[in-house]
Amino acid sequence: MRKGRFNRAVGIFIALTAGGAAALLWFAVAAGGPALSESPSHGFFFGFWSILYNTDAPAPRIILAAIAMALLLAAGVAAVDRRIANRSRRSSDPLTGPLAPRVVMAATRGEYAGPVRVTVLIPAHNEEASLPLTIASLLEQSRRPDRVIVVADNCSDATVSLALEAGVEVIESVDNTQKKAGALNQVLKELLPELGDNDVVMVMDADTRLDDGFLAAAVDRFANDRALMAVGGLFYGEEGHGLIGQFQRNEYLRYSREIGRRRGRVFVLTGTASMFRSRALRTVAASRGSSIPGTPGYVYDTAALTEDNELTIALKSLGGLMISPAQCTVVTELMPSWRTLWAQRLRWQRGALENIGAYGITPPTLRYWAQQLGIGYGVIALGSYLLLIFLMVFALDTWIWFPFWLGLGALFMVERVATVWKGGWRARLLAVTLFPELFFDMFLNVVYLKGVADISLGRTASWKHVTPVRIREATGAERP
Amino acid sequence: MTITAAVVVPAGILFPESLLHSQWFAILATFVAINTVMYAALALAKILPKLHPSDWIRTRNERSETRSIHPDADH
Repeated sequence: MRKGRFNRAVGIFIALTAGGAAALLWFAVAAGGPALSESPSHGFFFGFWSILYNTDAPAPRIILAAIAMALLLAAGVAAVDRRIANRSRRSSDPLTGPLAPRVVMAATRGEYAGPVRVTVLIPAHNEEASLPLTIASLLEQSRRPDRVIVVADNCSDATVSLALEAGVEVIESVDNTQKKAGALNQVLKELLPELGDNDVVMVMDADTRLDDGFLAAAVDRFANDRALMAVGGLFYGEEGHGLIGQFQRNEYLRYSREIGRRRGRVFVLTGTASMFRSRALRTVAASRGSSIPGTPGYVYDTAALTEDNELTIALKSLGGLMISPAQCTVVTELMPSWRTLWAQRLRWQRGALENIGAYGITPPTLRYWAQQLGIGYGVIALGSYLLLIFLMVFALDTWIWFPFWLGLGALFMVERVATVWKGGWRARLLAVTLFPELFFDMFLNVVYLKGVADISLGRTASWKHVTPVRIREATGAERP
Repeated sequence: MTITAAVVVPAGILFPESLLHSQWFAILATFVAINTVMYAALALAKILPKLHPSDWIRTRNERSETRSIHPDADH
């Protein structure tokens, strides 16, 4: 198999690197001989009441060094990311970058392959509840799709009849045991040879609704740039589900804001709704098993738990140009309970680790490695912060105010609120209280740790095997 | 640390206050302080408008050829 694959070692590698960075800082602090805490002094505040306050703050040189280190790290990651993207964009080697813009341009120069036509694939596994709204959101677009196909995978409910009622095509998967990716592979195998160079395929989840203008904006991009290989959607959360819903909405808002600040440069071509030029998918299928992992001839790698993340890395590895325009927004379903959120996030986390493990440390995956290391370090930082607060609260019998730390707290509060400002007063209210979101972050951190531990110990993700068998039996009984 | 000692020295709710004056606690406090300042710097960077240094350099924005799907389109 290919060199540089990590497999299970990816978890251990990430844990050791993030832990190593923290240990390094710890020993540096210990070697420097930190100043012992001074006793608090009494102050007189507005002349009314006496309070205890402590002017403890790190020495200015430590503050400056920490600020410099954080900004350098962030700028460093961004610069490396940009440099790698530019290098692959300028590549003209069809062997290493068969989807690089120059290669694609050379292959399509001077030919008109017809207008952009859009074929939408909606993989659906028992989605009768949300599918009608999904289809309606497609048919109501100002630029309607040319073809809509519901890929019914082992459905035992009314998914197929509802799709036919809505007037769209239905293709049922045949003997598929590999879930969504397997079902899509079957359909794409038949569909791709029929498509021309300017035809695009959109893959969207059955629990997602497109905002109007998505298709018009995306088609415009594909028409103006024949080297553009993919357009990704920006997702935001549906209404409802109370507090847990608001946590997820805030999270998605911040993610979208971040992509906007990156001017649409893509992290992940979301599985909720993304569009691909036919050439991109054909090249991915042809490159599987050689330059990228997977089975030759198939678009999706069925071994990947997060097939959208995997396909993004595949396209980036082949040099493909992609973007998430601000106009391409979708509303997606949120997890209604902590249990389902736990399962979803564990799958995402496990999938992300397996994906970068499968590709190894390569220029296109560096950004994803950095992200995993960043979360790993965040787990240690937030954990030690909470430990410190815990020790302080239970070792003091009077409340002491630390002006320096209060100031930082206020800064974090401003950041939390500003980044979800667009989400309205509910989003801002949750953000301003700070601690509930810290709790949510802690929840995600525990999921992260569980994902790293699971992959390191080689535990199989159990949800892979349970449902399909049961559903197939049920479907078999109903079908003639 | 025995319970008697905890009573003699200024007592906290669960732990003796002397814990806060120990060497390892000072290291932990500084470790957390540095991390917190680092995250605060990143938070500040997230609030402020993002800078795109590439915009400051004048580049040749004209494309040498059209990238449209129509071969005869203006660039």
